Amino acid sequence: MGTTGEDRSLLLPGESKKIPFLGEFSLQCRLRYGQIPRLAVLPEWAEKTDKRDWHVDFVVKKGFDIALAGKPSTSIVDAPVSETVAVCPLEFDGMKQRLKVSEGDIVRKGSELMEDKVHPAFKLRAPAGGKVVEVVRGDRRFVEQIVIAVDPASEPEVFQAFPAESIASLNRQVILDQLVATGALSLIRQRPFSGMADVAVTPKSIFVNAMNTGPFQADAETVVHDDPVGFQAGLDLLIPLTEGAVHLCMGENAGETLKAAQRVTLHHFRGPHPAGNSSVHIARVDPMAPTDVVWTVKAVDVVVLGRLFLDGAFPESRIISLGGSNVKPGANQHYRVRMGGDLKPLLEGALCDGEHRVVSGDVLSGAAIPLDSHLRLRQSALTVVAADCERHFMGWTMPGLLQMSFSRLFVSSWLPWKRDWKLGTNLHGEERALVLTGHYDKVMPLDIMVDFLIRAVMAGDSDEAISHGILETDPEDFALCDFVCPSKVEVQAIIRQGLEQIAEEGI
Amino acid sequence: MKFILNFHDKIRHLFEKGGTFEAVGPIFDAADAFTFTPSEQAHQGAHVRDAIDIKRVMVTVIYALLPCFLFGVWNAGNQYNTAHAIADAGLVQDIIRGLIIVMPLIMVSYAVGGFWEVLFSCIRKHPINEGLLVSGFLFPMILPPTIPLWQAAVGISFGIVIGKEIFGGTGMNVVNPALLSRAFIFFAYAKSMTGNVWVASAGDVAVDAVTGATPLGVLSALPEGVTVADAIANGQVSFTQMLIGNLPGSIGETSAIACLLGAAVLLATGVASWRIMVACVVGLLSTAALAKGFGSSPMSQIPIHYHLVAGGFAFGAVFMATDPVSAAATTAGKWIYGFLIGMLVIVVRVLNVGFPEGVMLSILFMNLMAPLIDSFVVDHHLRRRRKRA
Repeated sequence: MGTTGEDRSLLLPGESKKIPFLGEFSLQCRLRYGQIPRLAVLPEWAEKTDKRDWHVDFVVKKGFDIALAGKPSTSIVDAPVSETVAVCPLEFDGMKQRLKVSEGDIVRKGSELMEDKVHPAFKLRAPAGGKVVEVVRGDRRFVEQIVIAVDPASEPEVFQAFPAESIASLNRQVILDQLVATGALSLIRQRPFSGMADVAVTPKSIFVNAMNTGPFQADAETVVHDDPVGFQAGLDLLIPLTEGAVHLCMGENAGETLKAAQRVTLHHFRGPHPAGNSSVHIARVDPMAPTDVVWTVKAVDVVVLGRLFLDGAFPESRIISLGGSNVKPGANQHYRVRMGGDLKPLLEGALCDGEHRVVSGDVLSGAAIPLDSHLRLRQSALTVVAADCERHFMGWTMPGLLQMSFSRLFVSSWLPWKRDWKLGTNLHGEERALVLTGHYDKVMPLDIMVDFLIRAVMAGDSDEAISHGILETDPEDFALCDFVCPSKVEVQAIIRQGLEQIAEEGI
Repeated sequence: MKFILNFHDKIRHLFEKGGTFEAVGPIFDAADAFTFTPSEQAHQGAHVRDAIDIKRVMVTVIYALLPCFLFGVWNAGNQYNTAHAIADAGLVQDIIRGLIIVMPLIMVSYAVGGFWEVLFSCIRKHPINEGLLVSGFLFPMILPPTIPLWQAAVGISFGIVIGKEIFGGTGMNVVNPALLSRAFIFFAYAKSMTGNVWVASAGDVAVDAVTGATPLGVLSALPEGVTVADAIANGQVSFTQMLIGNLPGSIGETSAIACLLGAAVLLATGVASWRIMVACVVGLLSTAALAKGFGSSPMSQIPIHYHLVAGGFAFGAVFMATDPVSAAATTAGKWIYGFLIGMLVIVVRVLNVGFPEGVMLSILFMNLMAPLIDSFVVDHHLRRRRKRA
């Protein structure tokens, strides 16, 4: 590892320099002594054709934007009131559950529902006050949902509130204590292992993601524009948590609110999915060594964190996006929903006919949830696509006008006009041995040899997987590999399994 | 087509676990998946998926092979009719004769190869792999038209069982099964693969020995005092003829133009690696230029562009070297792998008097070397990663 610290930096990332005739250069990573600088070159002619008043720091070339139908519009409407809320402990991965309530208990908003047996300071708290009506258990008696019937008259439990100006100068421990005690820490993710942040470690840097290229994630600008004060407060409280910088990464279409963020380093990215993934941002802005720890937060969650510190309580509601091909045109937009609210009032009348698959998160890397369950606290997107098991006659040789493919094996890929595809959940094949090698690399902008990484994981060779860079990644980075794979290999699942194995063994 | 689906659904239970025909379940699954795409849904990972699957990839290779197949059928018939001095043989007669020669080989290849594939699938309880679609079609294309059917059957058995199934089936093999099948016949039944075997004969009719030799065979066995330049000048070997391919030779490989058409399909659809094809050509041309500059053997005097269209190079570079399973998997590895194939082809052709043609052995050898090349490339990549960190 090179020497860290501001004092030895020659140039800061994002700083740019104009060189006559050659164009504008900007630094892609912090330049240190003995390190070869990696520069982004933007020729002058490109700048002239570019109407924007700021330039893109990083251009990501590899990747693929799937043209899916049902993109949510940026308008925000209030969703119908949900009479129940639920906490789904399984989304807080790795948590050892200890239930603190039982059916029939009266809880207040912010009351403790469950704690982690390993780290008892970490608690899950009620997103609204009322009566616990149901504790749903699943496999091995894990608690799947704690459902609360909302009582609007219930008084919330209040944590400490801070004035906006003081947040940036708060003590690190004060912030962490509040994040842990409220369970809000689960909104901050940690590399390696892409799990919940570990408060015992000080991260090298924190990456805030305001550029979700995954299909139909909540639009960061839309959400942040709704509460700029909360957003800035959230950014401020992140600053004391790291020894390095807080990087705010945004796309080229980022709006004014995002660009107005203070006291953080701004980075602009351009490119197809997964250019908006935090792994790509980290790799380009401040690459990780296997021993480094980096925290990541979504910009839409920063607003929630900010509100928690400004008001001393979780916000009652948040903004999520609803999209997907099975959502009726017009209903695909952003909704202000109750935290952990019921799906039924939200989706009633908003869906087309047929069988649905409801995905919490984006359709490439999210988790399928039942239609009769509740919104997840960590996710800010809801996608509904058709559950499709239709069989196509001689699919292996038909021209494929109505089949969508990244490859050029279907007539549709050759047509000059573009269309939005209504893709369902059809696997379009069966799992086979890996045959086409190098196929994944076309959609992988990280410096990772996917074929060899997943082979190392499948062979259980953790050392090899680590040297291939598995610790820098999150399973979501391999979502497009899942998508394009002709052998239908579950790449995300393999990476997740590899990360779990390494976490278990210890590095 | 609904009735087929209904019929399948009606009899499906017989082939599932506990059914009467459970043992041959994979056969039903294969037939079922052949008529209709599977009904499986994505259960984990990405919830929407690309329409591509291995079946479609493999079938695209078959389509790319069609120009070679069609030309090969006509050429085999035409060579036969010419050798037997059937004077009024027209296009139709050539094609009929060609089909009589070629179709039994394809049927034997698919039937015997299919038998092994199904046997292993049933025993191992895994679905029947699509790899055979291509291997079973490639194999007859690289056989001489005179090969006895039983030898073809033994050859494909060796290639499928030893070359592929014992490693775990399609995707796990080290070398190209079709090429290994041919190599087996080449060494086990050398008489069927060398000498005067390139034109089908009816057995009772004596075939003129000169017309039965491939261009590379002619050049490697030039009589004393005749140089390569002489042979070209007097029309014994012609570039145009090799480009078009109306010559004796293995069934599918004689026409460079047909191979180019196949290459166009493979590259346009992105099924085969353009890097490997380009690297093969670069390796071949640069080594041939070296040989022409410094070599002293008669074969080294062949004009370098002749090497591109001669023998099985075009076919090998387009269809055999690019087999994604047995080729190098890394981008840099593909360049090295292809270049070395091209180089070795010339080394065998020019330096080895015993074998006028070296495409098969070069590709097989590089198939074996591919993991080593990949290992070097991956090591380099990992060293670079470590340095960066």
